[in-house]
Amino acid sequence: MWQKIGMVLVLLVLFSLSTACTFTETAFTRTANNAGSAFAAAEVTLTYAHEGKITYSYAASSVVIFQSELSGTDQTLAAQGAANIHTLQRLLALFSPAIQVIDAPCLSNMCNWRKQREILNRASQAFLQAGSS
Amino acid sequence: MKKQWLSIALGIVTATGGFLDAGTIATAGEAGAKFGLGLIWVILVATIAIILLVEMIGRFTAVSKKTYAEAIREDFGFRFYLLPLSSELIAESLMLAAELGGISIALSLFTGISWHIFFPFVALFIWILAWRAPFDLIENGPALLGLVTLSFLAGIIALGGIPAPLIPTLWHPSFQQGTVAEYLYLSAAIFGSTISPYLLYFYSSGAREEHWSGASLLLNRVTAIVGMGFGSMGSISLVVLAAIVLQPLNISSNTLGELGLVMAKPFGIVGSFLFALVLFATCTGAALEVVLAISYNIAQGFGWEWGENKKPIEAARFNLVMTIFLLIAVVIGLIGIDPLQLALFASTVIALFLPISLSPFLILMNDPEYLGNKTNGRFTNIAMIGILVLAFLVAIISLPLAIITGGG
Repeated sequence: MWQKIGMVLVLLVLFSLSTACTFTETAFTRTANNAGSAFAAAEVTLTYAHEGKITYSYAASSVVIFQSELSGTDQTLAAQGAANIHTLQRLLALFSPAIQVIDAPCLSNMCNWRKQREILNRASQAFLQAGSS
Repeated sequence: MKKQWLSIALGIVTATGGFLDAGTIATAGEAGAKFGLGLIWVILVATIAIILLVEMIGRFTAVSKKTYAEAIREDFGFRFYLLPLSSELIAESLMLAAELGGISIALSLFTGISWHIFFPFVALFIWILAWRAPFDLIENGPALLGLVTLSFLAGIIALGGIPAPLIPTLWHPSFQQGTVAEYLYLSAAIFGSTISPYLLYFYSSGAREEHWSGASLLLNRVTAIVGMGFGSMGSISLVVLAAIVLQPLNISSNTLGELGLVMAKPFGIVGSFLFALVLFATCTGAALEVVLAISYNIAQGFGWEWGENKKPIEAARFNLVMTIFLLIAVVIGLIGIDPLQLALFASTVIALFLPISLSPFLILMNDPEYLGNKTNGRFTNIAMIGILVLAFLVAIISLPLAIITGGG
């Protein structure tokens, strides 16, 4: 009786382990996805602000929220570790300039917002790709 | 007659305002951005459940002249009453912090000033309203303002309606690798955010504040069906907007800043401020309802004087609870967690405790000592059992899923 129950439990655990990868994301891919989404949102926010779809002050307060979401992401990624070390290095290299944009976004006509948008776009694409692989 | 229809209109408006809060906005936005229209069915199921529950709690209070908390204590004893009370205290303190954060973010979007600066002042604003404002103002003010939620529907129309490729996601949501757990987690959170027990405690106490009687049953039924239906429409509209605007941009709506973009696309600056106004109105209404629901619950359970229309000195302990509860929420909020993430987590905690809050319903609604000939019929009892089974299932899966997915 107990042997059978034990067997069923072992089979259940094995089944869970074998399906876990399709059931849930790893911590690394989740962090990468969230960062990619935040960078994409920051890019759209910056674009909308310069296209006159939102005010600069609205964009500024949104960016503050992205800032807190992204703060410490580089350390978290490094701690979680990627399957491929080159992917991690590439992400960290893109993270640094992108977070600088988030810290000091161009929300006036006096600076080059298109360059900032490009930096954010590159970072978001790379993070989202890492998150989906 | 005219007065009764005016009451019905106000009731609908109130229910619409009460349905939407930081939790429903957070879950609806994230659901649409991540799974297209694939979680709308959960909102529909939860809406039917909340319509039934609101109708029942209103009928119970109108006929028995007792609130839900009073009846739990009277029928099940003080020790049992402490169970739903404790679960409410834990879940709703988190939700109140999320609502205060939602109001702060709305003000921040209007002004550009960081939401952290607004947070303590917002708590003070809610405290003053809850302390001094009469019940009618608390009930109808934010709710009327909350009608701006209908602008979500206008947003969908302005964007040309639901795009054809999105429609199949209604019954066949597109899963990326490893997102099944997230789908289930969001389902549980939507259930928890829609069936918020605070709404039931507030509604029950509100019915007593307004001296409902057997003659108010029509008002109660119309309020439950039309009001919750309207609220649900606002929530579903936000899912659709997020699916149209955010999903193609790979924005998963992890923060309220991301969610604000959905209204900027169709309406520009006006749209972005409409979103901020919706956030302000719904979170203000919900914050007042949460803080009052807890104060009502404790005062009624402990047999203290209570009532929003009474002077603070006449219901001193009721008002003291309100103050202490707000202070607890301020402490939680000052930790600095994003309000949207906090609202998601609070919805999960609510889902976890839902069976404790809802179980007494089944017994009370079949007790002729309270309800005379207005007890539940066979259909409402079967529906109630269905809701309880669902609540148990959601409770079992909510916490493990929150851990597996890292909170969505």
